[in-house]
Amino acid sequence: MAEVHVIGQIVGASGFPSNSLFCKWGIHTGGAWKLLSGLREGQTQVDHPQFDNVAYWSHPIDVHFATKGLQGWPKLHVQVWHQDSFGRSELYGYGFCHVPSSPGFHPLDCVTWRPLGSWQEQFSQLFVGGGPQLLNSDLIYTGADRYRLQTRAMGTVHLQLAVLLRNFDRYGVES
Amino acid sequence: MAEAAWNEDTGGVVYRSRDPIGNLRIRVRLQRVTSTSLLLQQLQQLSFQPGQQAIGLATLGSHNTASGNPPEEEVVIGWQEKLFSQFEVDLYQHESACQSPLDRQYHQDILKLEKSGGRKNNRIFTYTDHDRFTNMEEHCQRVTTSVQEAPSYLAERMANVRRRRQERKPVESSVFKSRIVTWKPSEEFIKNNHVINTPVQTMYIMADLGPEDKLGCGDCEHVLCTIRVDSNGVITVKPDFTGTKGPYRIELEGEKRELWKYTLENASAVVQQDEEEREQRLFKDLYSRHKEYLHGLVGTDFEMTLPGSLRLFVNGEIVSAQGYEYDNLYIHFFLELPSHWSCPPSQPLSGVTQTCATKILGKDRVAFFSFPFTLEVFFTQEDELEGSLPQWPVLYFEVLSLDFWQRYRVEGYGFVMLPATPGAHTLTVSTWRPMEPGTFSELQRFFIGGSPELEDLTYARVPSTFKGDRLSRFGFRTETTGSVTFRLNCLQQSKAFLESSSMKKRMQSVLDRLGGFSQQGSVYNVLEAFQRARRRMQEARESLPQDLISTSTAGRDSHLS
Repeated sequence: MAEVHVIGQIVGASGFPSNSLFCKWGIHTGGAWKLLSGLREGQTQVDHPQFDNVAYWSHPIDVHFATKGLQGWPKLHVQVWHQDSFGRSELYGYGFCHVPSSPGFHPLDCVTWRPLGSWQEQFSQLFVGGGPQLLNSDLIYTGADRYRLQTRAMGTVHLQLAVLLRNFDRYGVES
Repeated sequence: MAEAAWNEDTGGVVYRSRDPIGNLRIRVRLQRVTSTSLLLQQLQQLSFQPGQQAIGLATLGSHNTASGNPPEEEVVIGWQEKLFSQFEVDLYQHESACQSPLDRQYHQDILKLEKSGGRKNNRIFTYTDHDRFTNMEEHCQRVTTSVQEAPSYLAERMANVRRRRQERKPVESSVFKSRIVTWKPSEEFIKNNHVINTPVQTMYIMADLGPEDKLGCGDCEHVLCTIRVDSNGVITVKPDFTGTKGPYRIELEGEKRELWKYTLENASAVVQQDEEEREQRLFKDLYSRHKEYLHGLVGTDFEMTLPGSLRLFVNGEIVSAQGYEYDNLYIHFFLELPSHWSCPPSQPLSGVTQTCATKILGKDRVAFFSFPFTLEVFFTQEDELEGSLPQWPVLYFEVLSLDFWQRYRVEGYGFVMLPATPGAHTLTVSTWRPMEPGTFSELQRFFIGGSPELEDLTYARVPSTFKGDRLSRFGFRTETTGSVTFRLNCLQQSKAFLESSSMKKRMQSVLDRLGGFSQQGSVYNVLEAFQRARRRMQEARESLPQDLISTSTAGRDSHLS
């Protein structure tokens, strides 16, 4: 049994078309992994930037995993949503990143995309917002069926993760 | 005096303890100094004033005879133990002087003390956390020599807030859940939250250093020691306990300029040896049980590689593509495994990303893919003495664009060598695309799509069909296009690492570390070759005519004799 601690935060997001964003996040692992403590998913507050276009959430992540194998290394997936002045939420981006496999502090930039609808949908999106979303959110962190998708590049989510590994060297794993 | 040197260091010292603070005991020893050196000093001073010499000597003499041996007092004080001073005894004896409930409590205590036969302390006494003195001290503390120093706004706030909150319970988490933001904060709430608020309990050990017959006049009180304890077990003692250092001294003002010395000792009961051991055993037990519990949850085993093989595990991500000419990009990639490499049969070695419309970022147009892939490949060393270094797997990719009419164009070719060192790697790979000279093909590409393509993607590196010793691409024209960013997290697993790390060998590259096997192998091979040669020699010997052997042995015998 080897253990992984992931301690860090979702710092914020930049490069999205408008402000007042919030973020849903989760960590997906394979079957050999077990969550010992901490929360594996969550949601941030809605942040309105005062000056620049970076929304800061500073949302904490602190999870402790134990594993029987390397397969299914944890993946962190995020969904960035926009809440408009009427209180409606619309999807702004899906993104994911592998939890780094080497111990230490890792500042990460996680790029996001959103599904692109037909041109009629894009046209109506221009005026009333909204837009298509994924039916199954597992497409965010799997690559198998991605070729069916038409997407648009959106903003970037900034993460800071510190990773602690334990007992991996006992099983001959170099990380 | 043996420990002659005075302790000048009167700064506070911080101790930490997890044990209950009620066990804290401090032994205080207070003594008036009448050393000969001091006497001499005084005499010298006096000799400068001949007029007053007689009087001075007389007072000194009378003083010494009056007090006999210098007065000494030793008290062991517990945490927040109240020892009354003479002043307080005089004050609280009369019920009319009592105003607060605390005063009345003291009144009762003093009456009880009187009945049981007077107090045990003489000069040394204490002020506990509840006493008025503790409050006053905090309010009137000065930090500079300025006479007009007034406490700052913050200091006032701190004095109000910081101390008296020992009994405040931590706010329940359920309250937080129901109401995260306090929209109308009360005065009290603001006070509590705008300044640091570590609840502290304070205790003063004091001494009344007035003349023997005039104890309790109130203005000769001196602080011997201040002890502060917060709820986290942080104990601040100012000044520190006098251990090996000398005692502290107090020099009184006034005409006599008496000198007092005092020592502070930590007299708390020490934990017995067996008790401490039992506590540690208990902790160890707890930890091991928790460990067992975790093992029960997860299991102790871990999937290992076969001996002699290296497992390369790559958590990869195609992050983005930037700087391409057309919009709606997608990437097609595959992994080439050289010889000696294998992978589990269920694992796909190729993939196609989604189509992504670009956005402007800085000067470039970027497409964000955030496409995950996981590669798990094995390297097995079979025959070591081939002399060639093992080749590393290569990831080939092509960038394509799809336009409104569903026509696609090749945007670029590239390849990534999987990193040979474990850890996180971010690689940005520039790409090129084949180009035909002349404007016709470019026009064709613009209007109807389609352009020259590579038949074999491995041409981006060394073509798989290539045989020869010199690779030439002369005559092949390309155009630089954009770049693709990969993020690769590599893990390597091998039993060889286990051995070499246990031998504390830090080698440069993975090949060196795997090299242990090849060395073992080569030794084995040499041994085998030797065995083979020996067997052949024996066979040759057996096939020789018998008489030849006998003559040779006879000859040897004759030589020997």
